[in-house]
Amino acid sequence: MLKLSTNKASPQARPRQPADKSPSGLSIVWREIVQDKIALVSFILVAAVTLFVYVTSLLLDQDQIVRVDLFALKQPPSSEFLLGTDQGGRDIFGQLIIGTRNSLTIAIVVTLLTGIIGVLVGLVSGYFGGTIDNLLMRVVDFFMILPFLMVVIAFITAVPNYGITAFTLIMTAFLWLGIAKLIRSKALQEREMEYVQASRTSGSSHLKIMFVQVLPNLSSIIIVTMTLNLAANIGLESGLSFLGFGFPESTPSLGTLVSYARNPQTLEMRWWIWLPASILILVLMLCINNVGQAVKRAADARQRKG
Amino acid sequence: MALLEVRQLKVHFPGRGGWFESRTQPVKAVDGVGFRIEEGQTYGLVGESGSGKTTTGRAIIGLNALTSGSVTFQGQELTLGKRGGKLNFRRDIQMIFQDPYSSLNPKKRLLDIVAEPLRNFERLSPLEEKQRVRELLERVGLSPDSIYKYPHEFSGGQRQRIGIARAIALKPKLIIADEPVSALDLSVQAQVLNFLREIQEEMKLSFLLISHDLGIIRHMCDRIGIMYKGRFVEQGTTEDLFERPQHIYTKRLLSAIPVMDPAKREEQLRFREAVNSEYKEAYERYFDHDGLAYPLKPISATHEVAAPEKG
Repeated sequence: MLKLSTNKASPQARPRQPADKSPSGLSIVWREIVQDKIALVSFILVAAVTLFVYVTSLLLDQDQIVRVDLFALKQPPSSEFLLGTDQGGRDIFGQLIIGTRNSLTIAIVVTLLTGIIGVLVGLVSGYFGGTIDNLLMRVVDFFMILPFLMVVIAFITAVPNYGITAFTLIMTAFLWLGIAKLIRSKALQEREMEYVQASRTSGSSHLKIMFVQVLPNLSSIIIVTMTLNLAANIGLESGLSFLGFGFPESTPSLGTLVSYARNPQTLEMRWWIWLPASILILVLMLCINNVGQAVKRAADARQRKG
Repeated sequence: MALLEVRQLKVHFPGRGGWFESRTQPVKAVDGVGFRIEEGQTYGLVGESGSGKTTTGRAIIGLNALTSGSVTFQGQELTLGKRGGKLNFRRDIQMIFQDPYSSLNPKKRLLDIVAEPLRNFERLSPLEEKQRVRELLERVGLSPDSIYKYPHEFSGGQRQRIGIARAIALKPKLIIADEPVSALDLSVQAQVLNFLREIQEEMKLSFLLISHDLGIIRHMCDRIGIMYKGRFVEQGTTEDLFERPQHIYTKRLLSAIPVMDPAKREEQLRFREAVNSEYKEAYERYFDHDGLAYPLKPISATHEVAAPEKG
């Protein structure tokens, strides 16, 4: 797909920081992305798709796109319908744009929400340790043993009128667990550092130490997990929608578009309905993952290329 | 009145292990320690690793919970057994940490590190705060312009002085220095120690100096307590202990100090052997059947020894 040779980092291109100023976290991440050509192309691609999708979707009318048009059923791509139409005569191109926007939005919102909850729970649990840690981790364990897919399916069967909010919340309810566990383990390490005790003797409250002193030291790991989770969440939403447990047909998403391929006729004869969405999922997930890998390397000085 | 008085301080950690984390014997890290620090004095806590000297210091400032005992600072009860204790007591007691690398938050600039206690106890405008931090950095011999630098841009000795700047920011009365120089190399050790004495004189500070290095203790301290397995074996002025050691453990510890003169090597060796054989011989008399020291008994106005019950 991306025909690029793995360009080894060219040493002369490395931008040197002036010695008296330490490079900030963001500039390290950016340097790492620039050094890795695949990550750079991925980043540009993701940024371009996101920008394009959000800007164009402002100009499109969702109601008009999802309206059934009996005069334009199952049309192949033409100048009128760039990517043809589906069995309801709805424009695939428009659905693709709105679908990508919906998918991206839900992935971003879920990632942010799970990030916030996970970091909060993990930080409190790891920083205090002891009984609080025990208590919170048992809650996490409880959620972890629940079968995620089954609960989602049961929820969607039980609640007929679910929308984007309910779907976001139910995904969030299960996806903060991993982040909480990860942040907890890091916070457990961090609280043994002497700077935490130094803050204590300086008179800082636990709350202040947690968020002002410890949290910045976990920022790199948080950014890395959130980036990789974003890709995973796009895939998860698509998977659920494909199975019919995601968005309803009136709210197009990448997953609902791909789910049209469950019809063998569509799969075989009308590739324009499901192929673009599938490729887009693949490209988005791959690209975000590539960027995430670069960010991950930036977080660990020993793995850095730039 | 003593600045700080510690009475019968005990810090026990619950021992857990075995099946189902059943409680076993608690680890008695500090087991009945008492001493006084007068204003402007330096009190030294010496002992081998694991003898409880660090735990004592941490318990005084409130980083470890007391099991029992009391700590009074200027006549005020400090730690009321509660974990952490009250924050506002800490203003007059500050701590210098052992490891200059992990004791400074790597993500914070010097300004934020040194100003942290100021932000907690004093209301200063950002401008005043910067001015104070500049003064403090200058006081510890660092360039006042480095307030926007990060800790990793400094060497070990410089970092330790940043830690000192943070500790003296609130003009405390007592500073607990937990092995303040053991992570530094020898030439820098002397520099930092002399600097500590300088600020002590200038700010009328008292120190609780925790160290395993007898040379440093002798150089710095007015009074010394020697710890072994969570108890004091001997306590007295520097002169008392270095000139007239009474307890066999103290004698053995002192005999371990290297002598610089190569001509006296043989002599020193014989001396050590003599002390060692005395230690083995008298061990039964000086320690109880658990290998712990007996309670301290005064033998002069300033000198106390954990002498055996009989003779």
